[in-house]
Amino acid sequence: MALESLTDPTRWPVVRVALHAGLLLALAYLLQRIRDLHPQLPMRQLARGKGGERRALLVLILLFAVVLLHQASWQLTGMLRPQFMAFMQLYDRRDFNPAHRLRRGRILDRNGEVLVYSEEQAGRVRRHYRDGPVFGHVVGYRHPRFGATGLEAVASVHLDGGTPLRLADWGRVGRQVLTQDEHPRGHDLWLTLDAELQRHAVALLGARRGAVVMLRPQDGALLVLASTPGFDPERIAATLGGAEDAAAPLLNRATQGLYPPGSTFKVVMAALALEHGFNTTIDCPAEGFTTSARYPRIRDHEYYEAREHGTQWPGHGAIGLGTALARSSNVFFAKLGVGYGHAAFYALADRLHANRPIVLHHSAHGRYTMQTLRLPRLDPDDRYGLAQMSLGQGALLMSPAQLALIGAAVGNQGVAMRPRLLRDQPPEALGQFFSPTTSAALLPLLRAVVTEGTARAIDDPALRIAGKTGTAQHAQGRAHSWFLGLAPAERPTLAVAVLVERGGYGAVAAAPIARALIEQAARRGLLR
Amino acid sequence: MSAPPPDLRAAWALRAPERELLAWGLLCVGLGFAMAIGSAQAAGARLGAEVLVAPALLLGCVVVIHLGLVALRCRGDQLLTACIALLAGFGLLVRYRMGAFDPGDPTDPGLYALPLGVTAMLVTCALAMRGRHTRLATAGWLWAALSLALVVVVLALGQRFRGAVYGVGLVTPTELLKITAVVFMAWFVDRHAKALGEWRGPGSIWPPLRALWPLVGFWAALAALLLWQRDLGMLAVLATVQLVVLVAGSGRRGYLWWGLGLGCALGAAALGLFAHGQRRLAAWLDPFADPTGASWQILQGLSGMYSGGLWGEGLGAGNPEYTPIAQSDFIYAVIGEEFGFVGCVLLVVFVLILLWRGLLVAERTRDRFGRLLGLGLVSALACQTLLNLGGVTKLIPLTGITLPLISQGGTSLVTVLVMLGLVLALSDGPAPRASGARRQPRRSAQRGAQRPDQTQ
Repeated sequence: MALESLTDPTRWPVVRVALHAGLLLALAYLLQRIRDLHPQLPMRQLARGKGGERRALLVLILLFAVVLLHQASWQLTGMLRPQFMAFMQLYDRRDFNPAHRLRRGRILDRNGEVLVYSEEQAGRVRRHYRDGPVFGHVVGYRHPRFGATGLEAVASVHLDGGTPLRLADWGRVGRQVLTQDEHPRGHDLWLTLDAELQRHAVALLGARRGAVVMLRPQDGALLVLASTPGFDPERIAATLGGAEDAAAPLLNRATQGLYPPGSTFKVVMAALALEHGFNTTIDCPAEGFTTSARYPRIRDHEYYEAREHGTQWPGHGAIGLGTALARSSNVFFAKLGVGYGHAAFYALADRLHANRPIVLHHSAHGRYTMQTLRLPRLDPDDRYGLAQMSLGQGALLMSPAQLALIGAAVGNQGVAMRPRLLRDQPPEALGQFFSPTTSAALLPLLRAVVTEGTARAIDDPALRIAGKTGTAQHAQGRAHSWFLGLAPAERPTLAVAVLVERGGYGAVAAAPIARALIEQAARRGLLR
Repeated sequence: MSAPPPDLRAAWALRAPERELLAWGLLCVGLGFAMAIGSAQAAGARLGAEVLVAPALLLGCVVVIHLGLVALRCRGDQLLTACIALLAGFGLLVRYRMGAFDPGDPTDPGLYALPLGVTAMLVTCALAMRGRHTRLATAGWLWAALSLALVVVVLALGQRFRGAVYGVGLVTPTELLKITAVVFMAWFVDRHAKALGEWRGPGSIWPPLRALWPLVGFWAALAALLLWQRDLGMLAVLATVQLVVLVAGSGRRGYLWWGLGLGCALGAAALGLFAHGQRRLAAWLDPFADPTGASWQILQGLSGMYSGGLWGEGLGAGNPEYTPIAQSDFIYAVIGEEFGFVGCVLLVVFVLILLWRGLLVAERTRDRFGRLLGLGLVSALACQTLLNLGGVTKLIPLTGITLPLISQGGTSLVTVLVMLGLVLALSDGPAPRASGARRQPRRSAQRGAQRPDQTQ
């Protein structure tokens, strides 16, 4: 039968296009005939026209033109509406929708190494995440059901091509409108991350849960933002769809994790003392310190070690700030904090962005934020609570990124630069965390922690690391291991914060990771 | 002044341009049917003779329109009928493609909407042509009572569905408001045109409330009932018609400003009261806030249009079924997807030709009632089309109103065809005897003399 031969799968596409063109041409011809014939249809039976309908017709034409123009902004140049493109890529099931052929831009590290790219397979574009879980928390994921997170969400506009900037871009848009065959390609996104260092950090953390944040104090560029365990953005459905994982792989521990900071917070307390011109000593006896007999005494770790070994520890005696930091004396900083009082403590915490998350990047599609310090407003009479917080314990919580930021501020004359992940985002000062003199005075003290204090084990004269260890007690088992490192100590170009959940002593778990990373960074020429 | 065609042969000759335009329109829609049927066949569907039901139905309707108007010796506008037939045929084609009715099932009411509408249009035209539309004015306030009664009936018997009260069984009686309320408005404004034009105050800023209050009373009742029914689209259409008719009838543009001000105030108040409207407004302002919920339909419609692009996928080649209930309010998105932007522009051009001829007829109708009636009917159609197109393209919030002649919905189709039947009747001009007698008595005598010839 003739009909069957025409609708044969091989022939039908051609026949269909012919019919389509025929229909449009026939409609156009009908319009032409209407133009030709309407003078022959003057409606003489009606009154003579005064042309009063012309103005109304003009209004109608204008209104319909507005509708059509608005329609064209979706139908023809919809690629310029990033949210619309994102919607179609996620939710539109039409195979022939050009949105599915849009190749999003790649995501590259600071050296141009490709981390994420799109590839066309059988008419559909697939997104590939090269290192799987290593960059998962930074780049995020995109899924039809679960939406988008991370930079895939925040930088969606840029990755989809965004608004055309140059004339050539408009030409490309025009070709797409006419043919729909052109495969549009979005803009690449350059990160500040160093892929090699990030991989190294994840490898160093290994199977342990934890986070590593490394940034440049001078411009806030994040070189490492690692959190383990991670997730593979390409297999996000399995992660999200599966049973709840106690390891919480979706949690970005580096930016969203909140932990008691432990002794790393003593850096902040030391800064507080220096701001107030502290230059004396505080007596730190073995029996420790408490604000009231009702509360357990705050003691130094040497006391507990001696007790474990069945010996006696005579106490530090009267020590200055340097010794207190190097030995991480709890008694010293508890007395210091209580001595300066609540108002001074909260004023400094406020300057450090306490209880206010910091936005790294934001767009209409989301925000990439980091948690800072989380602390409740204590009752002014609660001196024991203040003493606890002065040690980085009690009600005080902090994110690893915040520790890195505090370290970076110390390394940058007290000025904290807003941490950033995108290479092309200009550096921006976030605030003056400490005064320049405080920072200058603090650096040698932190260097001493590594040369003769708790972090002696990682000292390397070539790297000249300054830092502070932290061993944070918490209710759920072994202490969290922290380390804040700055290198080189005189004029730091790297600030690194390491957290190992339940890693024990800061000097044992976290500090070696920081050292290995700084070593690697030095090899890559980042330590100058 | 042109007299009506004296006999059928003259009428046949008079309507020759219409014949040609209708034939071209049929060819266009026929090509569309070929595409729709071919696509189904190419997709592997087993097709029987029932595929020819819809095209045959359309052919029959067009032939009936043409022969009916010839038989009536109607002088009505032939461009108008050509556009009506083309758009109605296009609507039937797209509804057929969407599977909105089953051509193989003789009990499917969707099959009978177009024949019924065409019949209603011809009957309306026959009843109201030769200037007989003035008879409509004799009913006066009955039209207002009927309008209010229609809404009351729907509220009493209708079912609440998707946030609004809808039809009784298979029909949506409120669609008829576009006839009854418009006739009432035209009659009222025509009757009180002089009083309505007498504005007071410095710079004539105060409308004549004494003349206006019956209208205000009617509107208070109608607006309250329609808001209760949550038919904001119908309210917007009727309010637009009222403003146009008032301004045109009284010659006072001030009504427009008062109307716009009142409309905005009422709209804001209505939005505050109805969660239904608030949700739609939110979905309009930020469709991407809830893309899989409130904005799913409009975004799927726009996605379809985007994939259609400039030229369209071709009828039957797209996936408009991904847009929920596309055959109803979102049929324009289907046209955008399968006929492309070019198809949409062509559709809009034909709609504009239809509206232009309607405006022309209204402008040139001799009696004021007819003029206002024509203007009201045309503005109702224009407003409804704009609200639908604007809603589907996200220019304005969705009002849940159909696209005249194209969307699914039997009552809507029949109502629109009756409205167009009235416009067609207006375009037939006044009764020949009255005008002829006034000018030249001899001519009427001549016509009297011709009568015997006709019977020979």
